[in-house]
Amino acid sequence: MSKQINVALIGNPNTGKTSVFNALTGLNQKVGNYPGITVEKKEGVCKLPRGVKAHIIDLPGTYSLNASSLDESVVIELLLNQNNKDFPDIAVVVTDVENLKRNLLIFTQIKDLQIPTILVINMADRMSYKGISLDIEHLEKELQTKIALVSTRKKQGIDELKQLISNYKDVSVKPCLDIASIDVTYFENLKKTFPNQLMYKLWLVITQDVNFGKVDRNEVDAVADFKTKTNADLKRLQQKETIKRYQFINNVLKVGQTIDVTQAKDLRTKFDRILTHKFWGYIIFFAILLLIFQAIYDWATVPMDFIDASFASLSEWLANLLPDGAFTSLLTEGIIPGLGGIVIFIPQIAFLFLFISILEESGYMSRVVFLMDRVMRRFGLSGKSVVPLISGTACAIPAIMATRNIESWKERLITILVTPFTTCSARLPVYLIIIALVIPEGRFLGLSYQALTLMLLYLIGFGTAVISAYILNKVLQIKSKSFFVVEMPNYKLPLFKNVVLTVVEKTKAFVFGAGKIILAISIVLWFLASYGPGEQFNNAEEIVKTQFASQNLSDEELQNKITSHKLEHSFIGITGRAIEPVIRPLGYDWKIGIAIVSSFAAREVFVGTLATIYSVGSDDEETIKNRMAGEVNPILGGPLFNFASGISLLLFYAFAMQCMSTLAVVKRETNSWKWPSLQLALMSSFAYIVALIAFQLLK
Amino acid sequence: MNTIVQNILAFSAVGLAVAFLIKKFFWKKSKPKKACGNEDCGCH
Repeated sequence: MSKQINVALIGNPNTGKTSVFNALTGLNQKVGNYPGITVEKKEGVCKLPRGVKAHIIDLPGTYSLNASSLDESVVIELLLNQNNKDFPDIAVVVTDVENLKRNLLIFTQIKDLQIPTILVINMADRMSYKGISLDIEHLEKELQTKIALVSTRKKQGIDELKQLISNYKDVSVKPCLDIASIDVTYFENLKKTFPNQLMYKLWLVITQDVNFGKVDRNEVDAVADFKTKTNADLKRLQQKETIKRYQFINNVLKVGQTIDVTQAKDLRTKFDRILTHKFWGYIIFFAILLLIFQAIYDWATVPMDFIDASFASLSEWLANLLPDGAFTSLLTEGIIPGLGGIVIFIPQIAFLFLFISILEESGYMSRVVFLMDRVMRRFGLSGKSVVPLISGTACAIPAIMATRNIESWKERLITILVTPFTTCSARLPVYLIIIALVIPEGRFLGLSYQALTLMLLYLIGFGTAVISAYILNKVLQIKSKSFFVVEMPNYKLPLFKNVVLTVVEKTKAFVFGAGKIILAISIVLWFLASYGPGEQFNNAEEIVKTQFASQNLSDEELQNKITSHKLEHSFIGITGRAIEPVIRPLGYDWKIGIAIVSSFAAREVFVGTLATIYSVGSDDEETIKNRMAGEVNPILGGPLFNFASGISLLLFYAFAMQCMSTLAVVKRETNSWKWPSLQLALMSSFAYIVALIAFQLLK
Repeated sequence: MNTIVQNILAFSAVGLAVAFLIKKFFWKKSKPKKACGNEDCGCH
């Protein structure tokens, strides 16, 4: 049996830690959560020389071991708890060659825990651009470690790193700083009370504000003959510790690192001046947004049409192949159209995440956050709220969880309440299909009307979130204050591998996360649409034939009347007609009503539901778009999906709180039903009123 | 595939789908040990 060792990848944010993780593990990785909390846990396996396997954990980015957020506490909890099954045999601290001084702080802290620690100096390919040279031998000697000079971009240094990891037993565990030197008397006393404990570990347990689960500071406080210091004294000692660490790092780097600014060929400052400019910064950002939405429309059309036609053909093929019966009907009229309603959107979702991932990888997203901070402050939010609002374009659930790093409770609560207005990827299928049906295909200045409409919907969502935040800031009587610090990473050419992995991971999450629900709902809807109670459903054929006996209808017309009559008196038809009076003023029929109700499970269910309802009983194997385009308004006549009802639907989905999972997360994050109930009531009423006004004005 | 087999398969699928949806949306999960209340609990 081959030996397996635990390796913890640790480092400051933006040091390329994930790139090193990807380079080591390739596709042998999985993403989950830490037990009991919702911090993302990435782990993977890497084969090392001599048949050794490394189980690698990519820990959340942290600046130091002085935790101030849940993400950071995960790192400390792992490093302090030797009983944890993931406790590392070796820690690999990833640093950025351009920010070595700051990045080394956490390295010295981990080293002092006497865990074998390797230093990775990443982005080594940038050294020549920045005029940086390193004396690796000196650094290894002074830091008592082994160093791997890595460039994930140029695929350099990874094999050397693997070699160093496999020789982890040779790495020194000698500490960088004698922690007792910050207060000799205090630590002597501590040593006497806990003679068998590592001083630095004890010090971390005493000074952290976060509850560590198994690592309990109460055990320290409970010892009668040891009196710890007041919080203010402990903070002063922590500051002293940090100063001493930086003194040590400065001395090491004085000889180990040389920066010749005359050799630097830096474009960063020039780029920053333009991209974060008070006026041009916003213009460039909106131009990039326009480009993204235009590309989503122009590039995704061909694969989308192909998928749509393939699902229609698959239904037809199966219908011809299998004998008639309930299961064949379930497959061809329930499951396949329902799943087709989600798979069709994969190209557009993938393109959206491709662009978002490129913007993040290139370092531009941090500039957007900085830019938006100026706007957000006027509305009572800080730049930290921008991160959840932007990540809300993928899904509101992780975005709401991302608010955990906002220190001010008021800002955090407001961000939680307004984030669901941001256009999430689940709204995208609804928007795309409705826009394709009701917005003409013409162009304005080379940009299609459809792409402009989509961008407008994104801006409406973001604008509503910001305005709601302003109102909530005035209404909520909670006093608090917060500060915003954002790190501007260097501009980089996005790594192809990282971009592809992000796109695959996000698209997979979108398809499989919603896919299971859509599959289940499609099956239930098929049942509800294929069966019904009473005479009207069971004797539909006779009733229709008697009703239309005097009219000379063709067989096909008669069959259509029977299908329509059965659907209307099926379980779903009865339910739909019961809610129809409420939604009719918005321009919707009962079938759209059912789709709205079922999409409360997940917004993207809307398209799948309509596809299933329109398929049941129909012999024509049509594409989803054509089926929807062919629907006739039963009251007003003409297409059901026209400009007025289409805009009304788009606005309804832009504002309505149509997501059960988001409500559950808001409840969990606020520990109260008050806030999600308020959110549901206000957002849904607002959506109804806006959709009503839009339809009544445009019809 | 005769009618009975078709019906068994179809209704089993419906049963499984209903069970999945109930489990997904109505099954009570164990509560986290600690979460924020109406006030700033300082856990972040």
